[in-house]
Amino acid sequence: MQQANLVNLPENYHIRLWIYHIVTWPQLSYVVEDSKGRIIGYVLAKIEEESEDKTADIHGHINSISVLRGYRRLGLAKKLMLLSQEAMASVYKAQYVSLHVRETNKAAIGLYRDTLGFEVADVEKGYYADGEDAYMMRLNLESGP
Amino acid sequence: MSKRGTTPNRFLPPKESSLFKELLSLYETKQLKKGLKTADQILKKYPEHGETLCMKGLVLVHMGRREEGIELVRKGIRMDLASHIVWHVFGLIQKGEKKYEEALKSYTQALRFDKENMNLLRDVAQLQTQLRLYDGLVETRYMLLRLRPTARQNWVALAVAYHLSGNLAEAKKVLVEYEKTLKNVPHYDVEHSEMLLYHVRVLEELEQHSEALALLDVSAKDRAIVDKTAIMEVRARLLSKLRSDEAEHAWKVLIEHNPECYDYYKGYLSNQGLNIDENPAEALAILREFSTQFPKANVPRRLSLSLASGEEFQALAEPYVLSALKKGIPSLFVDVKSLYTDPAKLKSFEDIAESIHKDTSPDTSVASSSVSTEPTTYLWSLYFLAQHYSYLSQYAKALEILDLALAHTPTLPELYTCRARTLKRAGDFHGASRAMEDARLLDGQDRFLNTKSAKYRMRAGLIDEASALLGLFTKKDAPSPGADLEEMQSLFYLLEEGDAHRRAGRLNLALKKYAAVQRVFDDYEDDQYDFHGYSLRKFTVNIYLNVLDWEDHLRSHPSYIKAALAASRIYVDIFDDPKLASGNVDGDVTDAEKKAKKKAKKAQKEKEDAAKKSAAAAPATSTNEDKGLDVPYKDDDPDGMKLLSTPEPLELAWKMLQPLTTLAQDNIEVLIAIYDVAIRRRKYLQAAQALARARALDSEYPDLHVRIVHARHFVSVLPEPMPAPVGPIFIETLGKILSEGVSLETYNSQFLQNHSTSAQAILAAAQTSRVLGAPLQEVEDLIFTTLRDEVRLDVKTALEISSFLKKIKSPRVNELHQALDAKFTLSTAFKTPDELAKLREWVLTTTSNSSSERTGNGAANVENEAELGKEAGKSV
Repeated sequence: MQQANLVNLPENYHIRLWIYHIVTWPQLSYVVEDSKGRIIGYVLAKIEEESEDKTADIHGHINSISVLRGYRRLGLAKKLMLLSQEAMASVYKAQYVSLHVRETNKAAIGLYRDTLGFEVADVEKGYYADGEDAYMMRLNLESGP
Repeated sequence: MSKRGTTPNRFLPPKESSLFKELLSLYETKQLKKGLKTADQILKKYPEHGETLCMKGLVLVHMGRREEGIELVRKGIRMDLASHIVWHVFGLIQKGEKKYEEALKSYTQALRFDKENMNLLRDVAQLQTQLRLYDGLVETRYMLLRLRPTARQNWVALAVAYHLSGNLAEAKKVLVEYEKTLKNVPHYDVEHSEMLLYHVRVLEELEQHSEALALLDVSAKDRAIVDKTAIMEVRARLLSKLRSDEAEHAWKVLIEHNPECYDYYKGYLSNQGLNIDENPAEALAILREFSTQFPKANVPRRLSLSLASGEEFQALAEPYVLSALKKGIPSLFVDVKSLYTDPAKLKSFEDIAESIHKDTSPDTSVASSSVSTEPTTYLWSLYFLAQHYSYLSQYAKALEILDLALAHTPTLPELYTCRARTLKRAGDFHGASRAMEDARLLDGQDRFLNTKSAKYRMRAGLIDEASALLGLFTKKDAPSPGADLEEMQSLFYLLEEGDAHRRAGRLNLALKKYAAVQRVFDDYEDDQYDFHGYSLRKFTVNIYLNVLDWEDHLRSHPSYIKAALAASRIYVDIFDDPKLASGNVDGDVTDAEKKAKKKAKKAQKEKEDAAKKSAAAAPATSTNEDKGLDVPYKDDDPDGMKLLSTPEPLELAWKMLQPLTTLAQDNIEVLIAIYDVAIRRRKYLQAAQALARARALDSEYPDLHVRIVHARHFVSVLPEPMPAPVGPIFIETLGKILSEGVSLETYNSQFLQNHSTSAQAILAAAQTSRVLGAPLQEVEDLIFTTLRDEVRLDVKTALEISSFLKKIKSPRVNELHQALDAKFTLSTAFKTPDELAKLREWVLTTTSNSSSERTGNGAANVENEAELGKEAGKSV
């Protein structure tokens, strides 16, 4: 996952962080493999710690998601998101899931808003290292029975 | 209050004793300046108080005054050998230096003097896990549990320790006991859920499947296990193992949950007693049903293609290809490529794609539609066909098709990346770089394209220019793009740049990059340390065990293997020819590059001097900043010259290869590399074993042939026979591979005859001749036979042949290049240095004005791009 991330996105992490996510919330992250077992897509997700305010809603957060360019148009990103969201709701009873996306990333925003039903909750100015603003988007998850 | 213990340097009167307690808590809260002061207060009256000396030393290390601190710690130990504190401190520092074995020793010492210290025990447990000392781990965990049986994680930790030490039965017992102690488990507790899933896993590994299933079902019903996916997966697996009738349904449920998971289909088929290889027809029938049930799922349809054959295959392949081309799915080719091993299927795909291409061809090639933003089926069929012919090495045809496609839609980056890839395979690395840059310019925001373009530049030997591209996405405050990528553990970057330097003859810089890869993997290994404790606190045991397993096989990663092979080959070359280590460090570096390098060096030195100055000025301003205990990495060899001129190249090579003896023992290139290093290190058994294994994998492998002869020849020219008992074993093993009576020249000729149309084999025979001392001319003549028409020669092998001629200092290198240039019409790899310089300029001049800015919206640049596209199409 780390190596795919380094090739695709400017926001990268040390291996420690990848291990940390997987070991803490093993049910939430997914990968897509090609026929040789190489990783061509992934989603790295977590449950946001809400340590101070115990009454606040539990929510999941998508830290990073990417599909290698040559494998686009297969609905992989949507699939990854759905699997992760479902696990957030079912395992952790998350009420909603949030994520950050670059203002200018039309393709991603299209996926989140139009395909998956996310809404823009906030604008965070200068969120990205290069100064670009981020939309913080949220999707309410139906809580289980 | 006096401290227990009888050593004279232990006792402190009440005032100092409470100061010491304060010191400890100041350390805990990392108030380092205050801690230092407090320590000094104690030491004023009791300068030989071992424990205080150690604590002061520890604080100093945290403040960055490492050497000073460690000295004090050593002094403190000498003053009070029986204090658990001094050994604890020493252990902490050793752990920070990643000296895990030594740290464990210190901790063990500390425990001698404070047997039930839980802090010590927990750290020892982590160290034992890191070192894979599982038996010791069990003892430690047992101790911890005994000391605090109310801490839930101590139970689980003990179970895990038993598990790791191979004692599943005990692990189970512990878990059962543990569960009995549980009261008031909160509803829907994720930690409890993970623990139960672990218990189920233990039962499964004990092959107590019914019990496992029972526990699973009960827990699932009680909602004690909350991970539904895990429940479904484990359930299906267990039911299959129990050969239960319910298994089939369980697998179906899984497939419904996620119809894109191969493992689920495999599980289903296996449960039905069907083997993909042995019962393709029945498996196919099932998969086709699933395809109908899940029309949107790709996996069952793709699997069907693997299983079907003949007319049925044709009937499935056509709609598969057509729908993909209609949707414009770029990965269609790479998806079906694996089926090309079947010539009939290959032909099918070609026919299908060609016919779709014909059917969708526009009536007139209208230039005005070139600004289309909606690539059509026609276009994607062209894209598929280009990849198809490129794969079949019909490069000219592929390029022709791409020209058509580019005329139709010049704004699609994929066409340029395909062009780049095709040119690369045809041996035109400059053209390839240019094409990839064309792709990148169409979507400057895309890091993937940026990465690819940088990579292609490196393949063309344009390292600094590649770095400039990468810099568009790396941290602005990093010393260089490369430094940032190395920091972020980017393996592709380190390998590509290492290889580029190697090809250019800058062995020092190449070695440096490969060493960096090694360090990345060392970090990967070290980083698991904190998780030994963390995962147990979180109860996520199953995934933790998987992480341990991953760590145990860490260096089987292809990137590590590549780095190890490349580096060890260089080291072996240096060993064989020490002149390589001192001479031509700069390789084929141009004057401009040399100047730039000097400048960079100067800048770097200025930076270092400034840093040194500010560091020198700093100590008075002792900061409270906690630098931790980890040793910061200092690069004491920025040029890689130390690596290159090492007196022990073979040892460095062996260090990298050693893990691969177990992790990559079926990789013939690894085995050959191991042989090369072992024979030169005089580890004859190792060398013989490597040869024997390699031979078992592929007896006709050309590189292996060279080593076999090398081994026999090596023995024959030894001044003294190999010492027993190793010698005779070596001879015997070698004898089984190549019997003693055979003349080596004859053996080589025979090999050549058996593989007379393989350029790789001819090269191997030439290399072998050289080992046997044949005259240069003879070797050259043999090499030149690779140019004959009947010999299968590709660009990759041609490059190897060229390298070999250069290595043996043949005067006929230019002659070879001319011949190769004529033979490989599309390639630019064998052009003269002058021609290459011109090409280099060409690659860079068209793109120089765009490399410093990121183009955002591709559509705005359509006009320029169309021009570039046309030019790129013409240049070949």
